[in-house]
Amino acid sequence: MQTHLSTGKRNLRLNTISAPAETAFHLILGLFSLFCVVPFLFVIIISFTSEDSIRQIGYSFIPLSWSTDAYSFVFKLGDALWRSYFNSFFITVVGTVVSVLLTLLYAYPLFRKDFRQRQFFNFFSFFTMIFGGGLVPTYIICKNVLGLSENYAALIVPMLFSPFNVIIMRTFLQTSVPTELIEAATIDGSGEYNTLFKIVLPIVKPGVATIALLNALAYWNEWFLALLYIRQNTDVIPLQYLLMKMQRNADFIAKNSHLLGSEAANVAVNLPSQSLKMALVVLIVVPIACAYPFFQRFVVAGLTIGSVKG
Amino acid sequence: MKKFLALLLTLMLVAGVTTFASAEAALEPVELTIMFHGSNVTDDSAVMEKVNAYLKEKINATLNVIWGTWGDFDDNSTMSLNAGDPIDMYFTCSWSRDEYNTYAKKGMWVRLDDPDNNLIEKYASDLWSTLPQVLTDGAKIQGSDGLGVYAVPGYKDIATQNCWDVNVDLLEKYGYTLDDIKNANYYTFGDILKTVKEGEGDSFYPLLVEGMVLERMVTNSIIVAGDSGSTNLLSYYMNPTDVSAEGAYGNVLLNKFATDEYKKFVDQTREYYLAGYIDPGLAVADTANDLRKNKQLTGQYLIGTQSYSLGYELQASQERNIHVEMVPVTPAYVDTTSSQGAMVAISTASQNPDRAMMFLNLLNTDPYLMTLLNYGVEGIHYNLNADGLVEFTDKRADYQPWTNGMGNVTILPATADQGKGFWDTFKAYYGEAKKIPIIGFTFDPTNVQVEQSALVNVAAEYALALDTGAVDPAEKLPEFLQKLNDAGMQAYLDEANAQLTSFLAAK
Repeated sequence: MQTHLSTGKRNLRLNTISAPAETAFHLILGLFSLFCVVPFLFVIIISFTSEDSIRQIGYSFIPLSWSTDAYSFVFKLGDALWRSYFNSFFITVVGTVVSVLLTLLYAYPLFRKDFRQRQFFNFFSFFTMIFGGGLVPTYIICKNVLGLSENYAALIVPMLFSPFNVIIMRTFLQTSVPTELIEAATIDGSGEYNTLFKIVLPIVKPGVATIALLNALAYWNEWFLALLYIRQNTDVIPLQYLLMKMQRNADFIAKNSHLLGSEAANVAVNLPSQSLKMALVVLIVVPIACAYPFFQRFVVAGLTIGSVKG
Repeated sequence: MKKFLALLLTLMLVAGVTTFASAEAALEPVELTIMFHGSNVTDDSAVMEKVNAYLKEKINATLNVIWGTWGDFDDNSTMSLNAGDPIDMYFTCSWSRDEYNTYAKKGMWVRLDDPDNNLIEKYASDLWSTLPQVLTDGAKIQGSDGLGVYAVPGYKDIATQNCWDVNVDLLEKYGYTLDDIKNANYYTFGDILKTVKEGEGDSFYPLLVEGMVLERMVTNSIIVAGDSGSTNLLSYYMNPTDVSAEGAYGNVLLNKFATDEYKKFVDQTREYYLAGYIDPGLAVADTANDLRKNKQLTGQYLIGTQSYSLGYELQASQERNIHVEMVPVTPAYVDTTSSQGAMVAISTASQNPDRAMMFLNLLNTDPYLMTLLNYGVEGIHYNLNADGLVEFTDKRADYQPWTNGMGNVTILPATADQGKGFWDTFKAYYGEAKKIPIIGFTFDPTNVQVEQSALVNVAAEYALALDTGAVDPAEKLPEFLQKLNDAGMQAYLDEANAQLTSFLAAK
C-alpha cells in the first residue's frame, strides 16, 4: 500500500528529488535566509534597547532593559523626519518612472536592427560606462550649467540614465522580442509608438520590472547627491541623507577627538545615541522591503516566461 | 558703421563713468557667502534677518551662510573650492582636510597682507591689533603669493595643555588626595591604580585613555601640523618644563615609534593593560570614543586623559555628576595646530574680497554681530540674566553654530555656566601660554604622498593597539618598526626634517 502510494506520488510529480537532497537544500537555503534575516532582527532589537543597557553590556540579543526612547526621539524630529520621508518617496517614484521610460526609449532603438545609427548610439552610452569625467567636472556641470542645486532635480536628474540599465534592457529585448513580431505589427498598420507601448512593452514587462527595481533601490538609498548639491535647502533632503548626516558627524568626531580635545565633549551632546541610529535604519529599510515582493513577481516571471510560446 | 562705432564708444564711456562714480560715492550692495564648520543649525531665519539688517547698514552687504556640519564640511568645502563655487569665505584650519597651508599653496586663499593690496591694513587694522601676537605670527605661512597671512585666525582656546582627568570622588574614597596624582606621573601612579582596581572589582578599569593623547602626554611629544591627521607618524619632543625652550632632542622631527621614550611608554602601558587597568575596548578605534564617553558620563574611571580648555573641569563635573579635576602634565603651550585651529579665509573665487575683509573685521571686533551670529537673537535663543550672563532658551537647539569656529570668541558675553569675568581669566590664561620653538611650521607631505599613505596604513594597524597596551610590545613593536621602514619611513622623516631646517633658517 505504502510502496504503491509513494510510486504513485513520484509519477505525479515529475521534478521531485530524493528526500536527503531536498533536506540538504532546505537546510542550506534556510541557513542562508537566516544569515540575511538575523542581522536585521538584531538591528531592530538594538533600536529597542535602552541606552543604559548598551553602555553596560554593548549590543546584545537579550538586552538588560528595553526602551522606546529612540523612536520617541525620532518622532520628535517631527517635520524634518516626515518631510524627508516624503522626499525619499517622491524622489524614488518620480526618479524611477522617468528613468525607466528613458531607459526603454534608449534601449528600444538599439535593439531594432533597422536603426542605422545603432552602432554609434551603442558606443555613445557604453563609452560613459568606462570613462567618466570625474567628480569635480561632474559637479561643475550639474551645478553651474544645469542648475542642479538646492532642488529636487539635483537629486533626480544625475541618476536618470544608466548605460548599464540600457544594456540590460537591450539584451532583454533582443532575447524576448522576435523581429518578426515587429514586422507583423508594421504590416498590420501599427505605428512606432503603438508597437513599442502596445506590443513590445507587455512582452518585456519582466525586464522593465527589473530595471524599475534597480532604479528604485538606487534612488531610495541615494544620499551622496544630497551631500553634494543640497547644503542650505533642508526642505528637499531625503531620509537617507538625514541618517548619513548623523552618522558622518559621529564618525568625524570619533576620528578627530584627539585633535578637538574638550571641544569633542561639547559636540558629542548633539550626536545620536546607538539605538537612535538603529531606529533610523529600521525606518529606512521597512518601506523598501515592502516594495520587494511587488517587483519580485515580475522578476521571477521574467525567468520563466518567454515571448513566443511553444 | 562709423556712426555705430561712435555710439558704442559713447555708451561704453558713459557706462564706465557711471560705475566709477558710484564706486566712489558708496559701496554697492553685495551678497557675501560664508561656509562654516561644525554647525548644528536647522533654523537661522530670525538670526539672518537681524544680521542682514545690521550688515546692510554697516557695509551694505547681505550674508548668506552655509552651515557646514562636522561630517560634511570637508567634502563640501573641498568640492566647492576645486569647482570654484562663488563662496567668499571658508572656515579653514590646520588639522582637517580643508587644510589652511595646502590650499594657501594651491592659490585657493587670498593673501590678506599682500604688499600690493594689503586688505588687513585697509580694512582690518583694529582686528589685527586685538589679536595676540602668537596668532598673527602663527598665521604667517608660505603660500602661492609668498610668505604671508592667508586667513583670519580665530581667538579661541589657542593653547594646548594635556591633563590627567581625575575622578576626585573615587580617588578620595580610597584615601588619596589630588596631591598624590600631582606628585606622581604615569610611571609611578601604578599603586594608586592597583588599590582602586582591587576595591572596585574586575569589571572596573581605572585608566580611561585615548591612546594617542596618552602617548603624547607621557612622552611630551606634540602633533606636527601637516603630519597624517588620523595617525600621527612624526614626533617633536618639547621641553616639559619650559615649553618655549628646545627639548632634549633639539629641533628635529623623529619617527614617533622608534624613540626610547616610546618604548618605555608602551612597556609601561602593556603592564597596566595586563593588570586590568585599561579597558580592552579602548583599543578599537571605531568604538573607543563612544566607550570613553559612556564611561565618563557614568563616572566609571579614576584617571583619564584630556586635552584641556579653560573651565572644562566645571563642565565635566556637571555633566558627569562627580567632582572632576584636571592635573596638567606640562604648562600650556601654543603650537601650529592650536594657533591655526580655527580660521576664516577669503577664497580667490570671491568677487568681493574687499567686502569680505570688511565683514571679517566687523565680525571679529563687533560684539553685537559676533553675539548675534554665534548665540542667536536675544529674547529668542538666549536671555540675559540679572548679572548680564547668557542663559540659553530651548530655541537654541535649532541654532547652534560651532562657537569656536567663528572667530574672536572673547568679545562674546559670558554664559551663566562660565560665570562672570570668564573672558578675563580666559585671556589671561591663553595670553600667558608660550609658543614652542617650531611654531608656524607645517609639514607639506606632497613629495612623500605615496610613503605617507603606506605608513598610515601600517600605523593604523599597530599604533592604537600599542598605545593602549592591547598587544605585546616585545613582539609587536619591532615588527611595527620593520614594517614602517619597509614602507619608507626614512624618506618621510628626511623630507620632514629638510623642510623643518629650511623653515627655521628662513625664520
